[in-house]
This record gives sequence, C-alpha cells and structure tokens, in this order.
Amino acid sequence: MNATTSARTYHRLFIFFLIGPAFLILFAVVLYPFLYNIVVSFSNMSLRHIRDWSIVGPLQYVKVFTEESQPDFYVIFFKTIVWTVVNVLFHVVIGVFLALILNQKEIRGRWLFRTLLILPWAVPQYIVALTWRGMFNFEYGSINLLITQYLGLSAVEWLKSPTEAFIACIITNVWLGFPFMMIIALGALQSIPHELYEAAEIDGASWWHKLRHITLPMIRPVMIPAITLGTVWTFNNLNIVWLVSNAGEPSDNTHILVSFVYKAAFNLYRFGYAAALSMVIFVILLVFSLLFMRRTRATEAAA
Amino acid sequence: MRNRTFRQILVLAFFLVPACSRHEDPNRVVIWHQMRVDERVILERQLSEYMSMHPGIRVEQLYKETEELRSGFIIASIAGQGPDLVYGPSDMIGPFKVMEIIRPLDTLFSREYLDLFIPEALTYHEGGLYQIADKLGNHLTLVYNKELVSTPPATDLELLELGEQLTVDINGDGKTDRYALAWNYTEPFFFIPFLTGFGGWVMDEDGAPTLDSGAMVEALRFIQDLRDRYRIVPGEADYNIADILFKDGKSAMIINGDWSWAGYQKAGIDIGVAPLPLMTATGLYCEPMVSPKGFSVNINVPEAKLELVLDVLRFLMEPERQLETARALKTMPTRVEAVSSSFVQNDEILRNSAIQISRGRPMPVVAELRAIWDAMRPGYQAVLGGSLTPQEAADAMQALALTKIREMNE
Repeated sequence: MNATTSARTYHRLFIFFLIGPAFLILFAVVLYPFLYNIVVSFSNMSLRHIRDWSIVGPLQYVKVFTEESQPDFYVIFFKTIVWTVVNVLFHVVIGVFLALILNQKEIRGRWLFRTLLILPWAVPQYIVALTWRGMFNFEYGSINLLITQYLGLSAVEWLKSPTEAFIACIITNVWLGFPFMMIIALGALQSIPHELYEAAEIDGASWWHKLRHITLPMIRPVMIPAITLGTVWTFNNLNIVWLVSNAGEPSDNTHILVSFVYKAAFNLYRFGYAAALSMVIFVILLVFSLLFMRRTRATEAAA
Repeated sequence: MRNRTFRQILVLAFFLVPACSRHEDPNRVVIWHQMRVDERVILERQLSEYMSMHPGIRVEQLYKETEELRSGFIIASIAGQGPDLVYGPSDMIGPFKVMEIIRPLDTLFSREYLDLFIPEALTYHEGGLYQIADKLGNHLTLVYNKELVSTPPATDLELLELGEQLTVDINGDGKTDRYALAWNYTEPFFFIPFLTGFGGWVMDEDGAPTLDSGAMVEALRFIQDLRDRYRIVPGEADYNIADILFKDGKSAMIINGDWSWAGYQKAGIDIGVAPLPLMTATGLYCEPMVSPKGFSVNINVPEAKLELVLDVLRFLMEPERQLETARALKTMPTRVEAVSSSFVQNDEILRNSAIQISRGRPMPVVAELRAIWDAMRPGYQAVLGGSLTPQEAADAMQALALTKIREMNE
C-alpha cells in the first residue's frame, strides 16, 4: 500500500466516521420504522395477534379501500383534501398578506407586530386546541358571544354538528398555521433587491404590477417548498382535529385520515390495518409532493 | 473499499444494538402512571421515603395521560422495554393480558398477603391475578354545592322537582344563568348510571354487546328530556365545561368522579357527595361503573429484579400510605385495615362514596369494552346533537359495536 492509497483510505474512513452517526440515527428513527411499517402493513398484527402475527399479503390494503367502515374511507379522504386545501390556502394568503404589510418600512413598531403575529405559532398546539374548543362552546364560548352580541346573528352549534365542528377545526388550524407562512414570506421579501422596485417605478409600474411581476415571482422559489411542507404537515396534523373535535366528535364525523389511523391503531389495536392506511397516506403525499415540485419547478428555481 | 465500509457499519451497529436493549439497572425501579397532580405529589413523597429507607435504590415515577400510558406501555413492552410497574384503572388489564405484556401476580404474593385487601382490589382476568389496587372507586357520584342544595335528590322525581327550582335566569335576559345539573355529554362513561337506572348494561356475560336494549332507549330519552323538555341541564357540555360550570356556581350539581372532589374543595366550594338517585319507573338505582386503580408488573421485569419491584409495590400498598392519600384526596383505600379505620368510617364524603361503590357495577376488564365505548360514543352524541332518535341511536350503537369487536378480534 503506497502513501497515496493510504491517505485516500484514511480520508474515506474520516468521511465515514463523520456521516456514520447521522446515518445510524436516521436508520434508527426513519428508515427502520418505515420498513417495519411496510412489513406490518402486510401482516395481520392486531390485539389477538400481537406476538404471533404473520404475513397475510395485501389483505389490509384491500380492507382500506373496500371495507365498510364508519366513517367511510372515501368520505374521510375527501374531508382530508378539503381540510388540507382550505388550510394551506388560508395559511399562504394570510401569511403573504401580512408579510407584505410588515415589509413596509413606513410601519412603526414592526417588531412588535411581528412578535404578536408569531404568537399563535409559539403557543403549544395542545393549549391552543383546548382553548379554541372552549371558545366554540354553544352557550359560553366567546365565538358565539361575539356572533350574537355584536353581529346580531344566531348562535352556531359549533361542536354538535358535523359541518360546523369541521369548520371549527379548520378555523383553529388557520389561526395556528399562518405565522409560519408569514415568516417564510417575510424572509423572502427581504431578500428581494430594492433596485428592482426602483427600476419598475421609473418605468411607471403600479403597485399591482410590482406585486405581480417582481414580488410574487421572487418569493416563489421560497414559498413553493414551504407550501409543499405545509401541505404535508396539514395533511398529517393529528393534534388539532383530535383535540378540538375531541377525537372525531360529533359521532366520528370530523376525522381526517391521520386521526382515523390513530384511532384504528390505538383505540382498536388494528395495527396491520393502521400500517396499511399509513402507507396509503404516505403514497398520496409522495405523489403530491413529486407532482407539485415538478409542476412548479421549485427545485430548479431554488438551484 | 465498499465491502470494507459495509463491514465497518456492521461492526458499529453491533456495538450500538446492546445500548438500545432494555436498560437493566438492578437498583432502579420505574413506574408509569396516570395519577393527577395531587396524587403525584403524594406518590413522589412516598417514593422519597422509600429511597431514604433503602439507600442505593432509585424509584422513578413518570406521568402519562391515560391513553398515552396505555399505548406507550403496549409499544414499549412488546419491544421488551417499558417500566417495571404500570399504574392505571382496571379496564386496561383486558388488552394487556391478551397481549401478554403483564405478569400474573398470584404466584408472586402469598394468599395471606392478598387477604389483607378487600376482594374488589384484586383484578382477576381469565383465571389470573393481574392487578392489585390501592384505590377503589373511579366512580361517578352526585356532587352538589351545599350553598345551593340542602338535601340532594334521592330519586329522579326529586331531581326534576329540585331541578326546576335550581335552574334560574338570574338577570332576566331570557338565558339560563344557573342549571341544576351538569355532566360530560361526550363520554359514554358518564351515561352508564342512566343506562343501569333503566335496567340496562353494556354487555352480556359472554362479552357480547347489549346496546340495543329497551333500557338504552329509555335512558337516552331520559337525558334528552332533561335537556330539551325540563331544561335543567345545559345544552352542550364536555368535561371541562361541566367542571367550570360547577366551579363557577353556574351548575348546582354535577355528576363527576371521586377524582374531582379534592379539586372542588380546593376551589373553595362546600361540596356534598351523594349517591346517584333511584329511577322510580324501574325501582333501580343509577349505578356507575366502579373500578379499582392499581399496579401491574411488566412481563419484561427480570427475575433478579422482581423482588425489589414487589417490595416497592408492597411499600406503596401499606395501610398508612393508602390512608395518607385518603385523607388528602378522599379516595377509597383497599387494605381491610385502612377501610375499617375510624377516618374512613366517619368521614361524610367517604361514607357516601362507600354507599355509591356498593351500588356500583364493576367495570368489565375484557378488551371488547374498548370497542363498546367507541361504538356508544357516536350514538350518544348524535342523540344529544339531535341527529338520531334514541331508538335509531341504540340500533346504530349495537351494529357498530358488533363491527368493531369483529375488527378488533380479527
């Protein structure tokens, strides 16, 4: 072994020891559970077969798509799409809107507004969800007091009716989610060179034209990955639906796919079924992310 | 080089795997529990006492919310991990036994020792003893504010009569400012006393659901009437809302469990605890579910450490420790010596609690109860939400329970 080979080997070993710990952690907390989940999804693991489970083929996947359950898989899937689209839409629109306002240098005390607007994000989700649940109470909740006393409308049965309960969950999550998009958009806005706006002003561009042709295209490379991330998070956001609707109330009508998985796994111990449903969710999100990133060319723009 | 790198990864993994296995410190005992804050403070103090008596031994306690405790213990113990002792209500014994993640205790304790407990403290399932309780009850009672209620109702008719007097619009704005009674409308556990009052129950002797009974329909109709016809209970209430209403004096009575009494006293309310009323139509008392709360031993506790774990368990079960909790929190002890103590016999709340326990029905410990709760919840909520009639709800509950039990046992 000559000196060059020895140095190269040493260099490779050095790299290996640098990435080794990270690889092992990733293997332990991501790769191994993921692979194990795939195996379980093809098994009959359940309350009665927790130790003696065996591989039963794609049976659990067939059940996911064909089993008559209450609530029905397709209904929950549709609700999950509505939940995700509405939430992310409001997160982005409100977030970008507030970022545009906070980016105006004329506004005094911007740091104060920024701090206040980040608060929803800083409070633990558990506290937020339970506080909002109290606020949605029919007789004593502040939302209905506001509606009846100041708007003169009749009180809404937020937590008793399926649609209203679902809307209550969405309102809570919109409140919780916009600060993330606002912070991302604000960061992107601050990186836009001011010269571009000056040049546009010289050319006589209006506010709308500047927004459309400078601001939005310039923040797009940052917002697309944030939207992708936000979509995946929202699609899989168990806490809000579970806590605001108190585990799917009323009558299991406010589930999204991930809360349904949780219930199947930990209320009814249907681990095989829950693993299969988790894989379905994974594939849905994977396909969405790939298509979205490709259509928007987000990775190209970021590169 | 590639093969060599692979070998190196394997070697590294080989050394890391033992580090991930169950960490066995023979002098350390870990307890997972779902005790509330005031119980936890007492437990912590008692464990400190144990450790000061046994230098070199460390006993650690970790709180987990009930559902998290259940699922966390299942996951951990299946993987060969988990705490040495797990503490909770007896209904978790069913699934734990089916999954074989807790030890049978019959062989670990002598008959003489077990005879020191009242029989209800020992939870047997499928022929084996799997839990020893330090508290009995976890039961619902009628809690009333003595400033508003001088004599609690003994029957449903008295409840309705008293309810009309107690439900008032104080400021005359057309809205009710104080209700007679509140309870948690979202959890079927709180509905059980009404069901039993009409002669119903959740399952038969074989564990098959019996939710489409006439008693279920009558009981659902009764609570619907309390709200919509007599209007003596709030339109909507979950646990927190009912609790706040009672604490704020906006509800004169509440149906709540023994875990809540100390909190109400701490909030400065002069409470009385009364057994739930009798249903005049059936001549039956409203019987809540009664369950012991206690310790089970993880199947993964090695033989070498078992004696230490059992010693900690015995220490926590001593009558003086049970009485310490009983004095502070009004919980019902399980050691015969503690139950027959002058404190338990003479305390007004504990006396009434004992009457309620004697009128309660043991909570089934079979795993199927999970599916039955799950099946009852939608129907119960739908009746109170007005989307199903009592009969439709009862039929839907039964059908759903059968489906869920089948799915659970597949």
